[in-house]
Amino acid sequence: MSQLLPLELIDKCVGSRIWVIMKGDKEFAGTLVGFDDYVNMVLEDVTEFDYSGDHTKLKKILLNGNNICMLIPGGDGPLGAASP
Amino acid sequence: MENGTPTQGEGKDPAGFLSEIIGNPVTVKLNSGVVYKGELQSVDGYMNIALEKTDEYVNGVKRRNYGDAFVRGNNVMYISADS
Repeated sequence: MSQLLPLELIDKCVGSRIWVIMKGDKEFAGTLVGFDDYVNMVLEDVTEFDYSGDHTKLKKILLNGNNICMLIPGGDGPLGAASP
Repeated sequence: MENGTPTQGEGKDPAGFLSEIIGNPVTVKLNSGVVYKGELQSVDGYMNIALEKTDEYVNGVKRRNYGDAFVRGNNVMYISADS
């Protein structure tokens, strides 16, 4: 009854910042505009984090869901996260 | 909401975003890191992409250009609106 399905969790994130970790060494942080059943996502004011530590700003993107590994609601990328 | 299916308005979900940017200059990045910049002619449900006046960038360096290009969807990491 009170179970929150995974996609409902993502739906709750629409309009807020989200941190996307891809398979492999790539990450994105941005505002979630929308997504579909494949978890392809539209993101706004995006920062793309490279494996090299480089980051690129992008205004609005459609990110292919195929290589997405994990989503962190409210996250703003690896720079804001604590690491050892 | 049933079985977690998102219900969203026009221009917000992926399909809405795509219809919004058809005809505009876009940047398409592949999983390999190669970047294509061109005018977005069309996209389908597989994220197959047709581009016009396409420039190809490898490691940020312009390599070639194509008048018309088809990119198979499985290679696409993201499509970014340039404007």
